[in-house]
This record gives sequence, C-alpha cells and structure tokens, in this order.
Amino acid sequence: MVTIIHFPMLSRSALCARRCRSFHPAIRELSKRKASTTTTDSHENVDVVIVGGGPAGLALASALGSSPAIKDNLTVALIEAGDLTKIQEWSASPGDFSNRVSSLTNASQDFLKRTGAWNSVDQRRTCGVEEMQVWDGVSDARIEFNSTDLGAESSFNGMSRMTENLNLQRGLLRHLADMPQVQLLQKTKVQSITRDSDDKQSWPLVHLDNGRVLRSRLLVGADGFNSPVRSFAGISSYGWSYDTQAIVATLEHHPRGAFEGPNTTAYQRFLPTGPIAFLPFSSTASSLVWSTRPHIAKALLSCEPAALSTMINAAFRLPAFSLKYLYDRILEAHAAGTPITPAQLQEEIQFREKAHSIDPLSTHSSLIRHSGPVGIASPDAHLVPPLVTGLQPGTAASFPLRFNHADVYIGEGKGSRTVLVGDAAHTVHPLAGQGLNMGLSDVECLTRCIEKAILHGGDVGSYTALLPYAQERYLANHILMAAVDKLHKLYTTELEPVVWARSVGLEVLNELDSVKAAIMMQAGANAQQHGSPGWNAAASVIQNASAAVETVSAVVPALSRTIIGGIGNLLAQVNQTKRQV
Amino acid sequence: MYSTSRRALTRFAAQICQRRGLHAGATGATVNDAEISHFSRLSSEWWDEGGEFSFLHRMNPVRVRFIQEKLAEIARDEAPDGGETIEPGSVLQGLDVLDVGCGGGLLSESLARLGARTVGIDASGANIAIASLHASADPSFRLQSSTLPPTAQQSAPGRNSLTYLHTTTDALLDSTSEAPTLSIPRQFDVVTALEVIEHVDNPTHFLDTCCSLVKPGGHLFLSTMARTPLAYALTILFAEHISGKVSKGTHTYSKYINPEELIDFFKNYPSAESNPAQKWISPEATSYLPRHQAELKGLIYNPLQGGWFLAPRNSMAGAQCNYIFWIRKPKVSDTI
Repeated sequence: MVTIIHFPMLSRSALCARRCRSFHPAIRELSKRKASTTTTDSHENVDVVIVGGGPAGLALASALGSSPAIKDNLTVALIEAGDLTKIQEWSASPGDFSNRVSSLTNASQDFLKRTGAWNSVDQRRTCGVEEMQVWDGVSDARIEFNSTDLGAESSFNGMSRMTENLNLQRGLLRHLADMPQVQLLQKTKVQSITRDSDDKQSWPLVHLDNGRVLRSRLLVGADGFNSPVRSFAGISSYGWSYDTQAIVATLEHHPRGAFEGPNTTAYQRFLPTGPIAFLPFSSTASSLVWSTRPHIAKALLSCEPAALSTMINAAFRLPAFSLKYLYDRILEAHAAGTPITPAQLQEEIQFREKAHSIDPLSTHSSLIRHSGPVGIASPDAHLVPPLVTGLQPGTAASFPLRFNHADVYIGEGKGSRTVLVGDAAHTVHPLAGQGLNMGLSDVECLTRCIEKAILHGGDVGSYTALLPYAQERYLANHILMAAVDKLHKLYTTELEPVVWARSVGLEVLNELDSVKAAIMMQAGANAQQHGSPGWNAAASVIQNASAAVETVSAVVPALSRTIIGGIGNLLAQVNQTKRQV
Repeated sequence: MYSTSRRALTRFAAQICQRRGLHAGATGATVNDAEISHFSRLSSEWWDEGGEFSFLHRMNPVRVRFIQEKLAEIARDEAPDGGETIEPGSVLQGLDVLDVGCGGGLLSESLARLGARTVGIDASGANIAIASLHASADPSFRLQSSTLPPTAQQSAPGRNSLTYLHTTTDALLDSTSEAPTLSIPRQFDVVTALEVIEHVDNPTHFLDTCCSLVKPGGHLFLSTMARTPLAYALTILFAEHISGKVSKGTHTYSKYINPEELIDFFKNYPSAESNPAQKWISPEATSYLPRHQAELKGLIYNPLQGGWFLAPRNSMAGAQCNYIFWIRKPKVSDTI
C-alpha cells in the first residue's frame, strides 16, 4: 500500500506531489486540515485577537496599534460585548465624577504617554496626588507620604494621578479611532472558542455571535475575573473572596481653606472592617473606596445619602469602637426596616464625640458644618480629609472584593496561543490602588515581548515568544498581590497585641525614610525601570510585619516574650531592608 | 487521540525509511542514515516548545539575532552613505536564504517572517513533512513544499516566501539534475547550517557543498559544539543522560568540531578556483579573526533564565561548548 516514498534528488520532487498522499501521515493530516477548514466556514485570520474592552484590553489594542514594528506586521482585533460607542461619547460636566476611579502611577502614565494615548485622556478631569496620609484606625499610628520624597522631577507629577476609568477608556478609544488597522468589534459576544485541529499546535478559533469566526495567532484574555479565555486555555487560578464589599461614591465637600493646601492629598484609614480611602479629584469633589463587611455595606447603602456621607465623615474620625457602636445602630435600624435617618446619626455622633471630648468645631469632629473652613485652619487640619457634605447622585454603589491569581499566564497544549492580562490574570484588593496599574504593566510588557519577537522573526503566538512576559510579570504581580493581601489581613484585626505590634510597625516605617522611599519608588518609578525593587523591599517589610502578627496571634495567652521576639524580628528585617535599599 | 496516532504514523514512516535504506545517504556523501532515522523518529516533537527541542526553541531568537546583526554590520560597512538607515530588523528583506538541515523549520520560519526568500532543506522526509505541516497552518507564509499535496495549496498565500525541499546539499549542486519543479536559485545570499554539521558523516565535504551554494560576497552561518570535556558534560552527560531532556543518541561526541578546526578549514579554503591563493580567512590572521571575514561567538545557556546568550570567543568558557560561526565568501571582485 505504501509506495516508494523517498526522493533524495531534487529532480524527483516532481513525483512527490503525485505520491505524497501515501507519503507521510503529516501530509495526510495536512490534506485533512485544509479540507476541513474549507468546508466548515470561511474563517478570518487575525494575528492578535483581544477579548475584552476594559482598560487593559483597550490599552493593549492601542499599544499594539501604535507600535511601528507591530502595526506593519500584525492584524489586531478587539472584541467587546458592551457598547464602546457609549463610552467614546461619554461626557460629564466638569464637577461631576464617575465612581470607578484608578490611581495611575507614573509608570502607567509614562506607558500611556509613549503610546500616545495619554493625550486623548482629558487631563482636566484627573488629579495629581501629592501627598498620602495613611493611618491605623485602632492605634492611630500614621505614615505620611509626600511626592517630594520622589525627587524633583517626579514630585512635579505627583505620586500618582487619580483618573476615572471612563476617562481613560474614552481616551484609549479616541486614540484607537485614529488606527483603522485595529478592528474594534463592539456589541459582539464571543460564543465559543474552539481549536482548529486536534493537533498540539492548534490555533484558537473565536466564534462570534454575528457568525464571524476569527482564527487567531495569539488570543489575549483581557476579559476580566470570569475570563472565558482563561477557561478555554484550561488555566486554573487560586484565590478567595474577602468577606468584604467595596462601597464607591463620588463625594462633595467644601474647598480647603485659604491657609490649607489644595485638595491633592489621598487619605486612607485602616479600620478593623477594612480600609476607607478618600481620593482627591477637584477642590470640591473626591472619590470614596470604602471596604467593609458586606452586611454593613448593605445597611449603609440602604440609608439616605446624607446618612451615608455622615458615616463617611465619622469613619475617618471617630475612634474604632465608637464606629462599631454606630454600625450596630445602623444594622439594628436596617433590620427593623426603618433605616437610620441623618438626624438620628448626627445625634449619635454628637453623643459619642462628647464622650471622647472631641470639640464639635475641631478638625476631628464629624459633624456637618454649613460653611467651609474659615480663617486660619487648625494645625492638624491636613490629618483628615475635608468634611463630606454630600454624595453626587447615583454614584453610591458597591462590589465584592476578591483575591485571585491565575496559575500561569500563558496557555499550553490544548490552550496554546493564549495569554492573560489584567484582571483575567489577577484580581487584587483595591487598598493599594494597584489593580489597573498591574494590568497596564502587563500590557506594556506584553507589547514589548511581541515587538521583540517580531524583530527576530518569532511567532508571536508561540510559547517561546511569550515566555519573557510571564517571567517578568508573574513574580512582580505575585509579590505585589501578596503584600496587599497581607496588609489587608494585618489591619483587619483588633487583637490588642497585634494592634500594638502594628502601631510599632507603622511608626517604625514612618521613621525609616529609606523604607518609605522604597515604597515610594513604585509610585515614582518610570516605565524604563522594569521590575519593582521598591515594592519588593516594601513587601518584605509588610510580610515580616504580618509574620510577627501571626506569631503574636498564635500565642496570645502566653504572649509577652513572643511578641517582643516578633517585633525584634520585624525591626531586624526592617534594618536589613534599609541596608538593601 | 489524534496526536498519538500521528506519532505512531510518524514512527511508521521512520521505520520505512530505515527498512528501505532509502535515505539520501545512498546518494549524498555527507548524510548519515542513522542520524536521519533518529531525527525522523523525533520529528513530531519539533514544535513541542516544552519538549525535546525546547533548548533549540529558546536558542532560536539568539541565533536569528546574530545573523541579523552580522548582516546589518556588513551592509553598513558597504553602504556608500554609511548605512545609517540599515536596521537589523529589515536586513533579511528580499535575500535568498538556504537553511540546510532545517529540521522542523524553526529557523526557516523566522527567516521567512523577516522577509527572506527562504528555502529549507533536510535529508529527512519526515522533518520536511512536519515543517510543511507546521508552516501550512500559518497564513503569513507563501508556502511551497516538495511534499505538499495539491489540496493543501494555500488559497490566499501570505507574503513571506518559504519553500521546503526534501533534498541534500549534494543534490542541489548536482548540475545534471533535471529542472526542479519548485524553482529555487542555484546560489544564495545566505546559507545557514545551524546545529547540523555535528550530524553529518563527512564534515569537510559538507562544508564544501555549503560553500559552493553561497553567492560570492554572500554569508555562511554555522553552529555546532566544540569537542571539549565541557561540551561532553553538558550536551551528552547532562542533557541526554542525567536530565533526560534530550533523547539519547542525539549527539555524537566524536563528531563535534572545535572552533580552531573550523577556522583552519577556512584559512585553507580558496575563494575561487581561479584564485587559489586567496582564502576565505586571511592565513596571516593568526591570533584574531578579521572582522569583515569571519566571527565566532559562544552560545551559552543560562539555566536560571532558561535562555541563551552570546559570549565573546575568548571569554571564559565562551566557545567551549555551543558556538555560532559566521564567514563570508570573498567577492568576485576581490579575487582579481
């Protein structure tokens, strides 16, 4: 049956076409594959198919479309189920801000500037963060970060820039509008993803609900936490839900007084229920991210907006145990079906403040005053955010928080030619404001890998071409995520020895300029410096602090020596980090 | 299910090759039957980037870069305007390139993507079949293959020209052969034989045929392993016997070639019959390689990064194991 199959001489190759059917199984497969692809449908070949039109997916499309090496060599398509035109046409009056915001680090901004997308982001709607106040809600230990710690050039830009996600997405879409070579397939759902053959080196076929089938050299999952691309690639992930909801809202407040600085300070207070953050946008508007227990979040959101804004003021100011009392009152009222009124809440707060001897006119009073700050501000006015006077209508919302990290970023075997970026690869607690920055770093790195592969004739869908991406990003993301997770766990406890350890920890941090500088390096890093030595140092400090806490928690009954040991360990490690920095 | 059946069929094909003793060894002076059947047996593994050939996959971008940079360097030297516009990324555009011993086509595909009109040849039919199969999945290639059935001809051929032929260098040079169906040039701007020479029987004759396939002024790239204890330890003892990453019998220590041997060969190799006095490397260059004639660099694997990098020839352990070699065929005008 098998005929002579060998043609060593070129001259005989003419025979081959006739006989190859019986020549080699690979060739038989070849005929089969070609035959099947012609019968199934007329799929389109697209080099890079991005699933997901969130900030990470759009940033990737715009980066690929603006790279000279890539745009001449690869075709790019982005698929988004939602209506991108709506986002592109989104407009809000200058004082109103959307409730989903991100703090873009200088590295992220540099990347967006290099691709040219930053010019399309409305700068007037962003706000440079020049200072950060971070403190412990139980011990009141406090760290201050100032952008001057970053050095002259960076301090001009601030530590990071508060940007509405919609503003960023709109900017990316405007940037993409000038790139006809990047196909935007909006209001289009991915129905299924299959493979074009059973072969190990198969190419993914993306079936769209409009009947089109895209055969992709590289399939990028920028499709969020429930990533269909990740399931197609057979990549598992590990993680958990925090027992926490994040409440977001746009806050209105009086402008800072004449003798205070501008509203460019971000505030974060670590409460036992989770951190509450105040992120500046304009002189009279700021953004809230308040992580708290789901039942508290539910009760708070069912109150009148005025009650919620009163609670926000209290959450930045009242001692933790008084807050707990207030939560109980709110929960009781909620359970009784009669949500607490702003007047009742004011009365409760007034009572608690009296008990704590807080002067109703001082910075630390949460009671609403009807005029803005007048005259010379008290010297501690910068320690807390301005008093919130109200919420912008329709901006209060909440979403669950989780930790999730894909086991790998690159699909192999049956999921080959796939790669994950952004939330599809990792979901992180928002307390460090790193989620979107991590996604943009992924996109920056992936673009660089693709450029490099093209420069040396590589196949951009191949494992070899993508490997540097995973090598660079996996560990960096993992370190950051672990640090953020530990930080969350460290601060959501009221266990006294832990609080004590923690306050010592934070104050130690505050004294050590070099450690602070390491934490700041992430904020100030420009995109040319890959990796994040600053975060590594910061992460090791946090990890050690939490190790100390774990030690403490384990031996609370017989504790004192162990605590001292734990703290000693912490201090030793901090010093070590200082030397390394 | 399919892949196992394919592997079985591949083995079957290899067995046939062995049984019939049909391989090019019968006609070519250089190819080795045992080597061919060894690689035929492994042919289905060529594109498994985590498997048998993972080291080669990782090495590929590094050797492509060496080729690009060397070509760009020479092109700049010769450009009347100083060649400031010459970029390594586009230097292969439009060149005729022959990849000898192309295997599964790792290098051939890269060269074709960079715009070279690439011809990949291999003495193993199974390799050519696998290379053709793999390239046929990629719409960017305008693929021709001596083993491609008419049904597999691409309906909308891509822009990168790639041709696979199941043949040998000897056969390509055989002027008595009939006109080939797939038209390819007689001589090439660039000939590459990477990780090949250690698998042939008569390296001198093999080099001879490679040299003849290079146009005057063209380039020849070779890479192989030095016959040193280090190379034995890494490529045979460790790779084949300890880690088992590479199949036993892939390498034969006695066939490794030392860099000095390669250099000596070209110091004695005349540029043309008409001018036997001129050699490819000036024999006067005793302690160095003239930059415009030849270059040799070590290829070193960094197990921590899982990647390869190039090292200068004289650095510590530089060319003691894997190395890559570039040499240029003297131009016709030089010989006058």
